[in-house]
Amino acid sequence: MRAGGGIFAATLFTPITVLYLSFLLAPIGFFLVMSVFRYSPMELYIPAVTADNFVRLLGEEHYRNIIFRTLRIAALTAFFSLLLGYPLAYFLARTGSIWRGVLMFLVIAPLMTGVIVRTYGWIVLLGSEGTVNVTLMWLGLIDRPIKILETEVAVLVALVHILMPYMVFPLFSSLAGQDPDVERAAATLGAGRWRIFFEVTLPLSRAGILMGSALVFTLTAGAVVTPALLGGTKVQMLGQTIYDLVLSTLNWPFASAIAFVLVLCQFSIIFLYFKGGRRRAG
Amino acid sequence: MPDSNKTVPSAMHLKASSAAARYGMGFLITAIYAFLLAPVLIIVFTSFNPTNANTFPPTGFSLRWYGTFLETSGFTDAFRFSMWLGAIAAVGATVIGFLSAYAIVRFLGRRREAGQSLALLPVMIPHILISISLLLALTIVPFPELGGLIVGHIIICLPFTIAGITASLEGVDEQLELAAMTLGASRLRTLWEVVIPLIAPGLLSALIFAFIVSFGDVYIALFLSGPGRTTLPIEIFSYMQWESTPVVAAITTVQILMIVALGLVVERLVGLRKIMRV
Repeated sequence: MRAGGGIFAATLFTPITVLYLSFLLAPIGFFLVMSVFRYSPMELYIPAVTADNFVRLLGEEHYRNIIFRTLRIAALTAFFSLLLGYPLAYFLARTGSIWRGVLMFLVIAPLMTGVIVRTYGWIVLLGSEGTVNVTLMWLGLIDRPIKILETEVAVLVALVHILMPYMVFPLFSSLAGQDPDVERAAATLGAGRWRIFFEVTLPLSRAGILMGSALVFTLTAGAVVTPALLGGTKVQMLGQTIYDLVLSTLNWPFASAIAFVLVLCQFSIIFLYFKGGRRRAG
Repeated sequence: MPDSNKTVPSAMHLKASSAAARYGMGFLITAIYAFLLAPVLIIVFTSFNPTNANTFPPTGFSLRWYGTFLETSGFTDAFRFSMWLGAIAAVGATVIGFLSAYAIVRFLGRRREAGQSLALLPVMIPHILISISLLLALTIVPFPELGGLIVGHIIICLPFTIAGITASLEGVDEQLELAAMTLGASRLRTLWEVVIPLIAPGLLSALIFAFIVSFGDVYIALFLSGPGRTTLPIEIFSYMQWESTPVVAAITTVQILMIVALGLVVERLVGLRKIMRV
């Protein structure tokens, strides 16, 4: 802006820098380092380097299953969010409706109510006396309530619902940012509606697809509350396992090893995202 | 869409298929909105249910679960604590967010994108990890646990306050600030008497949205709450692990109404899309 701004700018940046360094990055770094420490029931950890935690995590079938289940649910959640989120984002980006603002608000509104509220909504919908069971019985499709809660399906449906807006926003941005002349040009050259979509619109929205999928995948992988309430003990995921280890078993080093795997998954996804994004640019 | 270049038979065909496509699209969009809104609407209906079960459709109309909510001190205390925590976190995140956003917009120049991405860091880290790490830090550094909870909430609110305030600052003409300083105002006085009044709606929106984020948070509070500092989502979470009655519907209905009302205020002031960065 002008001379003397350096010190002023540094002062403005001080609070956030101190906050992020000392309460975000340093603690997370230390927590992840703990994954190579030895567990001790008496103290929190013994700072002696060991690979035990990782050996146990990858060696025991119970934990391997949890890792695979988490990855599977995260991938499916991202897939179904994309399947439902794309038409919605496309509609919001292209509609000329005067209700567009309201419709956008309706996508953001559920997000603001918080995870607990929406998870509870699904308990009411999917319970044995819930709307879905009552409707199915009324239609005569089933004789007695089927068990939906405490299955992977319940967790998946709720997670798709809770995280879908995170897919819609980046998709909306990339679809609304497209030059309408490109589609018009394709139409003038004789391409049909579907061909325009698959050969022009869809490839151009690739950045939004990658961004949204990466976001939903990561958020699912770290979910605790929704799987715990809708899946119970039957649908254990990584997040819950960390929660139990820290608060019940007090095995911090092992919890840290699991968190390490979680972060590793996230970074590989983000890496793939950037790689995919670059290929598009190049 | 200009259809003039189409050959005759395909134009006829296209007209029919485009009507079908429009109806199909309309049906699909309606179904997706039903999916998005059903769980929230069902809660509101359930809260007026007179019986003990989470059933829908309700069997009558009653306010008994609202009464139960007000009589259960665990819930009312948690509600009050969440309001209090949300207010503190909102003020903290708005003040720090304003300082950071101003510095990003006015002083970073070409490195602005990078600065903005760094500021959004807490969105990209799983919140459960932020929460555990803060708990761990508290076992090493003597720091009150309530402080940990407040700091955690400020951290998760910051990306939203920074996004909102940055968008507002973009609408402020830098010449106005330069004029104030040329006339002898200090940088601080310029901030206080020129910049802040100009972006007051943006600041208020950031404040409200940070409150919304804090009030809805469950992951930070998951590890950092405790006796006397249990937030509402945590109280509901622990309650639901053992039982599930419509009292939860009554509480969450109150929460939904409050959050939607606040969200509408933000939408009026600056638009939610700016804060959500879409």
